[in-house]
Amino acid sequence: MATAETPRGTLDALPDSLKQTLQSLNIPLGQIRFAVQSDISSSGSYGEEWFVLTDAAIFTVTGEGEVLHYIPYKSVLSIYAEVVVDAGLLVLETEAGTVDLIRYSNGCAAKFGFVARFIGDEIEFRDGKRDEAPIWDYKSEEHSCKSCGLLLPDEFSPCPACSKKHKVMLRILSYIRPYRGRAILYTIFLIVGTLITLVPPYFSRILVDDILRLNEITNAAPEASGTRLGEIFRAIQPATVALSVAVGSLLVVYIIREIFTIFQQRLGAWLTFRIAANIRAHVYQHLHNLSIRFFDKRTTGTVISHITEDSERLQDFMLEGLSFLSVQLLLFFGIGSVLFLMNWRLACFILIPIPLIVLGAGWFWKKVRSLWHRAYRRRSKLFDVVNDSVSGIRVVRAFGQQRDEVNRFGNANIDARDYETHAEMIWATYYPPLMFAVQLGTLIVWYVGGLDVIAGPMSLGTLFAFHAYLAMFYQPLRYVSPLINWASRSMTAAERLFEVIDSQPEQLDDGSLKAMPNITGEVKFHNMTFGYESHKPVLKDINLHVQPGEMIGLVGHSGAGKSTLINLICRFYTPDSGRLEIDGEDIKQIDLKDLRRQIGVVLQDPYLFSGSIAENIAYAHPDAAMVDIIAAAKAANAHEFIVKFPDGYDTEVGERGGSLSGGERQRISIARAILHNPRILILDEATSSVDVETEKKIQQAIDRLVQNRTTFAIAHRLSTLRNADRLFVIEKGKGVECGSHEELMAQKGIYYKLVETQREAANVRAQAQAVER
Amino acid sequence: MYNENGVKQDTFGTDDTTKPEQPEIDDFTPRYLDAARLTFTRSEVETARLEIQDEACYLRVVVRRLMPLSNPDGYISLAADEDTEIGILVNPSELAPESLKILREELDKRYFTPTIQKIHRVKEQFGIHEWEVETERGRITFSVRGLNQNIKQVPPARLFVTDVRGNRYDIPDYRELDAQSYQQIQRHL
Repeated sequence: MATAETPRGTLDALPDSLKQTLQSLNIPLGQIRFAVQSDISSSGSYGEEWFVLTDAAIFTVTGEGEVLHYIPYKSVLSIYAEVVVDAGLLVLETEAGTVDLIRYSNGCAAKFGFVARFIGDEIEFRDGKRDEAPIWDYKSEEHSCKSCGLLLPDEFSPCPACSKKHKVMLRILSYIRPYRGRAILYTIFLIVGTLITLVPPYFSRILVDDILRLNEITNAAPEASGTRLGEIFRAIQPATVALSVAVGSLLVVYIIREIFTIFQQRLGAWLTFRIAANIRAHVYQHLHNLSIRFFDKRTTGTVISHITEDSERLQDFMLEGLSFLSVQLLLFFGIGSVLFLMNWRLACFILIPIPLIVLGAGWFWKKVRSLWHRAYRRRSKLFDVVNDSVSGIRVVRAFGQQRDEVNRFGNANIDARDYETHAEMIWATYYPPLMFAVQLGTLIVWYVGGLDVIAGPMSLGTLFAFHAYLAMFYQPLRYVSPLINWASRSMTAAERLFEVIDSQPEQLDDGSLKAMPNITGEVKFHNMTFGYESHKPVLKDINLHVQPGEMIGLVGHSGAGKSTLINLICRFYTPDSGRLEIDGEDIKQIDLKDLRRQIGVVLQDPYLFSGSIAENIAYAHPDAAMVDIIAAAKAANAHEFIVKFPDGYDTEVGERGGSLSGGERQRISIARAILHNPRILILDEATSSVDVETEKKIQQAIDRLVQNRTTFAIAHRLSTLRNADRLFVIEKGKGVECGSHEELMAQKGIYYKLVETQREAANVRAQAQAVER
Repeated sequence: MYNENGVKQDTFGTDDTTKPEQPEIDDFTPRYLDAARLTFTRSEVETARLEIQDEACYLRVVVRRLMPLSNPDGYISLAADEDTEIGILVNPSELAPESLKILREELDKRYFTPTIQKIHRVKEQFGIHEWEVETERGRITFSVRGLNQNIKQVPPARLFVTDVRGNRYDIPDYRELDAQSYQQIQRHL
């Protein structure tokens, strides 16, 4: 092995103590090529252990410097990373036997997987089984925030620590910008409306002190309200007129307040739905530009909930929560100041129960929320049981399991009942004491204020007004905790929405992209390796050169990597190492719009969108002429069954084309591909799920479709690949055989075996049919 | 990277077609192994070697639990490699002590999943929960993102927690944890 230019990688930095150990073993540091740290010791407990590769040997060393294995590199025959349950194992095949070298947890699987691949390639190169030395191209699969180092789920996600909550709020507000004028108007309505709310208690004070003059009736000190407005009302005689004027004014105040509320809420709705819709549109639009990898890492449900639930949650909060929060905040401080102005001494007393209310409410809401959450989970489990047994009702009946199913439901039902009861009972137990804390304030005011009224320094009206304000004052305190939660949940929802918007698109146009409006269809794989997770390669060192117009049949056991190869040609993913070229150009550099326009796919289970048959055939070309659609349908052997439908080409196909048979859907998708007229055509098990008669029809259609196009076809029934120019056999991710049917049959390799097995199976079927007759 | 040599096995005697006491085996009848005829030893390179008396010797036996959750100590599948099962051992405790020890070590190597014995604390920050726990493999701190998706409950009270690095932790019955740990679980479940 050429040690001079062997790559020296950087993985984990060897600690100084281990460097000293190695030096004491007469291993110069210059000979160390790389070191990898594991997190499990050979005894199976958590600990530090090191894998070290030098120019001459492979070592494993404990964190304390004890050498566990020393294996001369040249005696290593092969190396692989074995996946065990929740951990991994690096295994060496040596001249002396198989060695379980080092254990590691799943967290280290990626780097050890890379090490195994790299050393394996190097050994193959050494043994002449590979013509190129491997390149050190380790990329950590752990994604952490560039500014704070927090671990992130994938390369698409923004850092939650660095995207501060207030920044999220600012970002939401930035969507208001187009509606600036109305937003300002809304804020004015909100503030004025709240201020008006403060007026009625003020009036009640004047009513009591200056108009009804309750103080005089009770013969207490004839204390007036002391307000200027009160003086005016005092001046009006007789008192009944003053009363009518006062009540009339109050009526006007109420009406004005309601008018403000109406406008404020109408405007709020108008703004909120526009902002939410704009965010939603932004997210959805961005979603379609994202790489398929983004969707791999998330379930369909998660992605859908991004667009629906998260935006709904945000919208609800903005519509109700935000205005509620701001009104309550304004009220709290507004009333607070009024109370202090009216009687600062009494106002101090009402502050006493506040800590009790806030702390009590915080504890209370936390408790009931977790209980409700648990009850909710039991409930959804109950629905799961129902869903399960109703969906499988035929199986339940066929196996006579009704009673067991009823029991299963019964248990879940009782479980849900108990949790819900518990939650409600806790609520019933602790909500009244919370209310009591609020009442406490009222009691204090009655007593302390009452003393003042009796002694004379305070008027009865002031006490009345105090009470009216007090109720409004304590109100928001009870909801502080749930409101904060609501706000924080909505901000998280907003963050998730922005996460989609901030994710990297599938292809960034940095100006270096090649426009390729007319592809000839030459496809070349050069030493291409790929895995959905790069430490588990699904395809390894693929080499294949396909001429324009050639048809390649991809053959191999299921899981061999055939569909992955196709995913790469569609550029849903990009190779980890090596190259994939189309017309001599690296696929990463080709403008995706151009590439996808010239690739057509026919899948095993074709997806038909809701709409008419004609719309589905013309999916990629909505403005296609009817004559072209008919021509495509005719070529796909679809026309014959379409004309029989009462609605012909206008027949609606539901979600997943429910009303059509598998063969019919398949022919529509072939017509779609024919109309698309691609240069590169992909057939993935296009004929696997139909009867023999239909298969013949589809096969005919496919034969017409593949004319003059570079075609990659996957089929389990090898007979359907008889028209292929060459067959490419993939075994465990490697291209093992390539050639025409006759050549491969003569080789008597894997392809030969597959053909023989299928022939036998076909014979058995034929015999069985003969017996039946 | 794959073990292309396939099965490595030494066969007793020169003629490997003679298998005394071994009735003809078809592909669809499970073979149950007699513990009395099995011996596990460590080879020179420390791998587990299985010898079936009067039959064969396997240099690196692959051990797998058929019911890792409900019956981890019984029904062990023994295989010559990933794809070739030798047979099933129903009750390993019938093995000789030394053999049983080696089998247990091999099982421990294949089934890493640490069992959480005590939860010191669970701290939440930015939707990521940091757990500090005690397991039979030692004390460890790990991060879990999205508790709903990453805690899987196996009825009635078994929990599997998956952390951000893909490691999985087992709580066989959360009701049997000590009060403090139970409280931590309750708070987040």
